[in-house]
Amino acid sequence: MTKNKSGIWSFFSSVKLAVVLLSLIAFFALIGTLVPQREAAVELAGRISPGLYSILQKMQIFDLYHSIWFFLLSGFLAVNLIICSLDRFPMTWRRFRMRPAPQNDDAFKDLPATNTFQVRSDVQRAAEAAALLLKKKYRKFARTDGPDSTCLCAQKGRFSLFGVYIVHLSFLVLIAGVIIGSVFGVEGYVNITEGETVSAISLRNGSQTLPLPFSVRCDKFVVKFYESGAPKTFQSDLTFLKSDKAIQSVKLRVNHPVVFEEFRFYQASYGAVPGGRATLALLRDGGRRDVMNVGAGYTFELPGKEGTFQVLRVEENLMKMGPAVKVAVRSPKGETTFWVFQQIDKIKALSPDILDQVPMFNPGLFSPYTFTLMGMEEKYYTGLQVNRDPGTPVVAAAALLLICGLMVVLFSYTRSVWIRVDRKKDKVLVRVAGRSYKNQAGLEKEIQYLLSELKDNLEKSK
Amino acid sequence: MINTTILSWVTFIFFAAFVFYLFRMILGREFWGKLATWTALVGLVAQSIALIIRWITSYDLGMGHAPLSNFYESLIFFAWTIVFLYLLMEWRLKNRSIGVFVLPVAFLIMAYASIAPGINNRIEPLIPALQSNWLTSHVLTCFLGYAAFTVAFALGIMFLIKSAAGTDLSKSAVFIRLLPSEYQMDDLMYSSAALGFIFLTLGIVTGSVWAHYAWGSYWSWDPKETWSLITWLVYAVMLHMRLVRGWRGKRMAIMAIVGFACVLFTYLGVNLLPSLHSYMS
Repeated sequence: MTKNKSGIWSFFSSVKLAVVLLSLIAFFALIGTLVPQREAAVELAGRISPGLYSILQKMQIFDLYHSIWFFLLSGFLAVNLIICSLDRFPMTWRRFRMRPAPQNDDAFKDLPATNTFQVRSDVQRAAEAAALLLKKKYRKFARTDGPDSTCLCAQKGRFSLFGVYIVHLSFLVLIAGVIIGSVFGVEGYVNITEGETVSAISLRNGSQTLPLPFSVRCDKFVVKFYESGAPKTFQSDLTFLKSDKAIQSVKLRVNHPVVFEEFRFYQASYGAVPGGRATLALLRDGGRRDVMNVGAGYTFELPGKEGTFQVLRVEENLMKMGPAVKVAVRSPKGETTFWVFQQIDKIKALSPDILDQVPMFNPGLFSPYTFTLMGMEEKYYTGLQVNRDPGTPVVAAAALLLICGLMVVLFSYTRSVWIRVDRKKDKVLVRVAGRSYKNQAGLEKEIQYLLSELKDNLEKSK
Repeated sequence: MINTTILSWVTFIFFAAFVFYLFRMILGREFWGKLATWTALVGLVAQSIALIIRWITSYDLGMGHAPLSNFYESLIFFAWTIVFLYLLMEWRLKNRSIGVFVLPVAFLIMAYASIAPGINNRIEPLIPALQSNWLTSHVLTCFLGYAAFTVAFALGIMFLIKSAAGTDLSKSAVFIRLLPSEYQMDDLMYSSAALGFIFLTLGIVTGSVWAHYAWGSYWSWDPKETWSLITWLVYAVMLHMRLVRGWRGKRMAIMAIVGFACVLFTYLGVNLLPSLHSYMS
């Protein structure tokens, strides 16, 4: 039983498993960038056989990053991290607690000749110089004095032993943040036409809508363009309302989200609203010209009292011939309906006898009046991304931990150094040794630095 | 524009520096090494000036953004970070032999920026989503990371060449003898990869903070994001293998080369996939 348990334990505590899991995650991530995901996968359905498609779909290949595979891999990695951290922590703790003893014959075993030098001096003075140097570089040091020799030692960077645990912890915090986000978070969007008010958003996953505990009105939408026609800035003036009372008005810009009652609003997109309003001009033969701003349903009495006209429809782009307005003129003689195109001159130039063929396209069908469509009023809607993610601060904390942990792991290291001074007739033999778990090259440099400082010091003070 | 003229000169200066580093490696005379270092430094200074001019010009044109906003500018900056990081290393380590492998990469990137079709070298206005202070920190950290990985890659190649040449140095060419020792290269490879890893992490984090502000989600599995994660994982494996399993030398060199291939795909290959990060759109 215990043997079996230790088998599972050693499986989950191995770095081999961690490397395999990291590689598998990388591999799945790679597949996800090659196979179309989510909405994009629909396009693929037409190109492969339905059977294959449904098998792949069941295997969640089209939503890999939210699939059971990814979930399992992250879960295994989390267990792996926890177990291997628990497994190694006691040893790290012992290393952390362990203070090296000044007298350590082991450290001086097989010491290269470059790590020693002899100088004409006495043990007392050489030891003082060494102590001064260690104090300067490591602040704390330990020392034992013998009759003919002195041993000193110092240590630095012990906290770097914990760096790896900080990194591993950051990953667990990250997973916690992602889970909090996916359980309690909401990701949705809403389009609001200028002047309109909404109190629900559409959710990103699935086609449900979510009612908000407040409503949002888009008072105004402004977009500015560069000369090239690309958008320069766009922003919405929003008002948040609760039971029809305005609570807060904000200007929402790209890159500057606004938070209201835990919901975060982002300026995501914009567009023109179809079926808005149009500017219509009415010219009576040899008479006055009226210009009016009209929407569907607009009714107007003709200036010559021949009857009334009504706007039936406003089209952004009718039959690919551009903006058009459908008008009905009602007079005692009956009802006449016809279309008024904005680009009527262009249409006539393309097919000169169109007005004879299709009298309904004649803006002067009800004489003596001629209608002109001068333009469509651009009415925008603002596209808002609306999120509530209580996991975000947790993820941010994880990122911070990760960076700090990595700095500690990669840029600091634990090392101990020993200096031993022995009397040799009228000279002293100085030896410097060191131990490091991680950075042999860095340690070597440090030892050489200590040697040269010590040598300089002792030779000068002679 | 004056800045692009300077930048096309810089391309040739980097090429010259590469040739001088090569002379040093073949002839074994330190004169060529010194000349190469100074040439590379002149190139770097000229490139810095060009970038500053470009920055100022963008303000004069009423756009006002750091020269890090389109594909052309990113290539130029990539070359800049590579040479900058290399010269820093050369100065710290007092070893010139890495230059012959690093400078050609910088030269090729500069050349690609000026001759590849479809690359626009004009200063362009920023679309609203790019108008963010996070743009600079995101691009800066990412490219410093890429540059460090480039150096690790160059060291990986050098390591493989040296180990293929065998241990008997007396028989090999000057070129091989002038390369740093295998121990030194292995150590530098690790240091560069570690530095790159930190910067890549910072790049991913600054990117997701920015995405959080711009798109409302700190991570959205966009192909560029995913590939940066893949790259991150490859280097994470590399560092684990070294720190825990004690991998050294040849295996690390191969990992550095594989990692660099991922960096290149993250940077260039992703443009073939539909992405929010696409430079080509």
